[in-house]
Amino acid sequence: MADPNTDATRKLLAAVWEKNLPIVRERVEQLASIVTLVQAKVLDSGQREAGIATAHKLAGSLGMFGYTEGTAAARAIEQALDEDTIDPNHLAAELTKLRAALPL
Amino acid sequence: MRRILIIDDEDDIREVAALSLESVAGWEVITANGGAKGIEVASSEKPDAILMDVMMPGMDGPTTFREMQKLPAIAHIPVILLTAKVQGVDQRRFSGLGVTAILFKPFDPLTLADQMSEALGWK
Repeated sequence: MADPNTDATRKLLAAVWEKNLPIVRERVEQLASIVTLVQAKVLDSGQREAGIATAHKLAGSLGMFGYTEGTAAARAIEQALDEDTIDPNHLAAELTKLRAALPL
Repeated sequence: MRRILIIDDEDDIREVAALSLESVAGWEVITANGGAKGIEVASSEKPDAILMDVMMPGMDGPTTFREMQKLPAIAHIPVILLTAKVQGVDQRRFSGLGVTAILFKPFDPLTLADQMSEALGWK
């Protein structure tokens, strides 16, 4: 028999996810913009820092809602943006994984 | 009943941690959305423990912890840091602060209270 406390917690979590979905979508789109800037070789340091911060926030939160592959992709994007030389293909591939991991 | 102060600038993290500790463990939760506010709430509410994010705008977690240590009224309250940093160098830096424990984001909402209880010696 399911634990009623666990079931109640899962329902509350689902409600929090739904409420925060617009913020998650916005953050994923911010990262998509960063990837576009990297591909165009016009990313500046402020944009890079903003991208790292956005990826860090997603990495720290998606797994709480069960999206562990989303956390892994966001963490890979955070690390890729922190490299001395950013690989645009790797970044784009991780963005694709991030999108695929989430019900956006 | 245990009373926990959660300090995090991210609304979703505060919300999930709070519902986790309330619904799973039955603890009372109070929250603050930044380090300065957290010190204020800790001073007025005297929680049994504090769960605090590392990366926050303004006063970050380590700075907030050091400021708390200067205040005799709250310096004794155990602090658990919450971080999404996975690199060993960051973990060693946070461990050196003297906090009770470091937990990692993303946490599992169904086991967060257990992890905290274990770290705090409440089990």
